[in-house]
Amino acid sequence: MTGELAVAKVGEIGEDEAIVVPRATTGTVDDVAVVYTGGEYFAVDNTCTHEEASLAEGWIEDGIIECPLHASGFCVRDGAVQNLPASRDIAVHAVRVEGDDILVTPNPDRLA
Amino acid sequence: MNAIASVVIVGGGIAGVTTARELRSGGFAGTITIVESEPACYDRPPLTKAAFVDAASLESLAFATPEEYAAQHIDVLTGVRATAIVRGERPGGCVRLADGRTLDADAIVLATGVRAHAPTFDGGALPEVSVLRVYADALRVRELATPGATIVVVGAGLIGAELTSGLVALGAHVVLVDPQPVPGAAGLGETLAGYLHGLHAAHGVDVRQATVTAVTARDDGVLVALDDGGTLPAHAVVVGAGIAVDPALPATAGLADPAAGGSIVVDAAGRTTSPGVWAAGDATWRRAEDGSLAPCAGHWEAARLDGVAVAADILGTSAPARGADWYWSDRYGAHIEVVGRLVGDGTEVVRWAAPGRPDAVFRVADGLLVGAASVDDPMTVRAARRLIDQRVPVAPDRLADPAVRLRDLLRGA
Repeated sequence: MTGELAVAKVGEIGEDEAIVVPRATTGTVDDVAVVYTGGEYFAVDNTCTHEEASLAEGWIEDGIIECPLHASGFCVRDGAVQNLPASRDIAVHAVRVEGDDILVTPNPDRLA
Repeated sequence: MNAIASVVIVGGGIAGVTTARELRSGGFAGTITIVESEPACYDRPPLTKAAFVDAASLESLAFATPEEYAAQHIDVLTGVRATAIVRGERPGGCVRLADGRTLDADAIVLATGVRAHAPTFDGGALPEVSVLRVYADALRVRELATPGATIVVVGAGLIGAELTSGLVALGAHVVLVDPQPVPGAAGLGETLAGYLHGLHAAHGVDVRQATVTAVTARDDGVLVALDDGGTLPAHAVVVGAGIAVDPALPATAGLADPAAGGSIVVDAAGRTTSPGVWAAGDATWRRAEDGSLAPCAGHWEAARLDGVAVAADILGTSAPARGADWYWSDRYGAHIEVVGRLVGDGTEVVRWAAPGRPDAVFRVADGLLVGAASVDDPMTVRAARRLIDQRVPVAPDRLADPAVRLRDLLRGA
């Protein structure tokens, strides 16, 4: 399908860091955090399911992104919530690397 | 242990609900029942924070919807109090409920939390005087905070400070009364506590260093008398005077320990002295391996991790090692995080964001970080808690330097 977006170049996202791709760019209902951890790229909805907070500003380690407000963790691979206070998973989006480009395909369920 | 097929959890706060969720995610296939005296199982920290100002619904504070509990096969009985733990047909015992129902269980988990300490001054029982512990308290106090109303907040600890900030946001005129010159300094140290307490006056709060001696009713509210001879006319009084255990339920099982102020004594796995009965959260004190007894941290995450530990023990596994205690608090839009200890042995190191405005404070002892706190810089504390738990040596001058990311200290950069 179309809709795949080049969101960054390889090397632009540091280890265990994330960038935010605005929803206006992705056409999704939430901003998308593109995460680089363990040598892989992942893309997840950027807003914590508990309260309004940008997950890209959170702590990233061992494949978990931890909300900067109340430390709920989410698996960057499948979006699964790890601990309260959040109790709902976050959506994930498909990512792949082609050449120098990091490409995100917005999750069809999350299109605006 | 493997024979446990039914668990009854008394208390649906963070400790109790975490226990239930962890049991299920850990593969427990038996029955799980949560008994909660409140109308729902909900999160408490928001009651004095943004949710207070926003008049958040009980549903929005609930940990999960009834459908989500049903999907996890967790039975939730709300609006009913457990009154006794007695011997029953199963190893854990039998939980008696106020409505006459009884629940036999292989394992009972007491996660009953604590109450707000009742006011001790004369007039503390007047209808204009409130404490804030549960959702209904928050609603009632919020209704008092009409623009222009004068509200006296007694106690400038975390709850009193958060509440004062919320009442100010709602347009009330707040008088904050606390006998300490720098409330919070005993836990946060003078630098951070002084800065945070100063935010009240900077936001128009009338801050008094005094103790309330009496509250008397008058035509349009109350008159609050202070020990410095001052009197404060007010529409209402809200008291944040700490917490108190309710020993009534654990006492029925012989678990209200006088040596722990009536709290329930548990080991590292959350086991009580009664086989088949575990306890978690604010209602507990912990006995260390050396036999010493210490109150629980009284913070949200500590209660959550208690729930993790209890669930692991019921499942016959063990929970991950616990690191330094962590908590957060909010006031006037600032998000504060604290990990470890900020007072006691060692020296304080301050990272200044601007003159008079700390970005973070640290406690360093013997070359190791033992505590940290931040104002609107949570990633510094998230890095600090890992530096503490991993015992990474730290240089004070680097901690003090705002240009140094703590993350980089952790990763040896």
